[in-house]
Amino acid sequence: MAHEQASLLLSRQLKELNKSSVDGFSAGLIDDDDLFKWETVIYGPPETLYEGGMFKAHLIFPKEYPHRPPKMKFVSDMWHPNIDQEGNVCISILHEPGDDKYGYEKAAERWLPVHTVETICISVISMLADPNDESPANVDAAKMWRENFEEFKKRVTKTVRKSVEEL
Amino acid sequence: MGNCFKSSNNDDISLLRGNDSHDSALEPTPFVEPPPPYRTQPELQNRMPIYHPSPGVSRTATQLTEDEQIKIAQRLGLINHLPTGKYDGTNRKAKECVICMNEFCFGEQLRFLPCLHTYHKECIDDWLMRSFTCPSCMEPVDAALLTTYQTS
Repeated sequence: MAHEQASLLLSRQLKELNKSSVDGFSAGLIDDDDLFKWETVIYGPPETLYEGGMFKAHLIFPKEYPHRPPKMKFVSDMWHPNIDQEGNVCISILHEPGDDKYGYEKAAERWLPVHTVETICISVISMLADPNDESPANVDAAKMWRENFEEFKKRVTKTVRKSVEEL
Repeated sequence: MGNCFKSSNNDDISLLRGNDSHDSALEPTPFVEPPPPYRTQPELQNRMPIYHPSPGVSRTATQLTEDEQIKIAQRLGLINHLPTGKYDGTNRKAKECVICMNEFCFGEQLRFLPCLHTYHKECIDDWLMRSFTCPSCMEPVDAALLTTYQTS
């Protein structure tokens, strides 16, 4: 039952994204037979260090979607405070729903069942433009961003170039 | 449809094989044999309701701690307090459930939240067991419930 709802929702999103593209990213299935595994290409937002980059990322949805969030992982090399060394995206809207007892994040900041491939990609684009260094997934990147911005810039420029070469 | 055809096909084959003395002796064994234990367990768990006492935690009723049982019982009680109704086409603005993105159909069970957002009962009840927050306005439902009690 839950599985069917997820497939239906994801196939509808696929149809809509195929019909009219959204600025800033493109998205499709990794394998045409599996609605739960998506590949997206995030375009580095203009006027940021990531401008010109075409970063490939995978979105893996659970069977309980939309009640549970997908996981997002960049396949392209990334250098960003909120993306860990393996490429996993760490933003609050992708965190499991509910109030955690430690109160780090309010329920409203976490996953909501209204999120779609589109809203997730848009959040990731704004994350690229505006890193959150309060809870970094890549501590080294966060430290470099704060303390040695020139070096950070160089590192990101390298990933931008690499992402285009690999595409 | 496809399933119906399949099952009747299977029946025909088994009947035909039943006439054959060699096969009839061999055939029944795989059906009589109980499924291996590793198979029965996930099936059993699938039938038992799964609860989500805190983010990222999924447990069956028997696996819950006492505190979690209390929390879930309270949550179920609060959800049952929220008004429900059937869609009759006269609903002010809501025409679609933003969780499943389907339009409401006549006679479907709806749940009305205190913030005046409306969803399919099935869609929102599942969500509220995970997070007691309105998916549209992100208002905590318990806070909104309290204010409606205070004003009414």
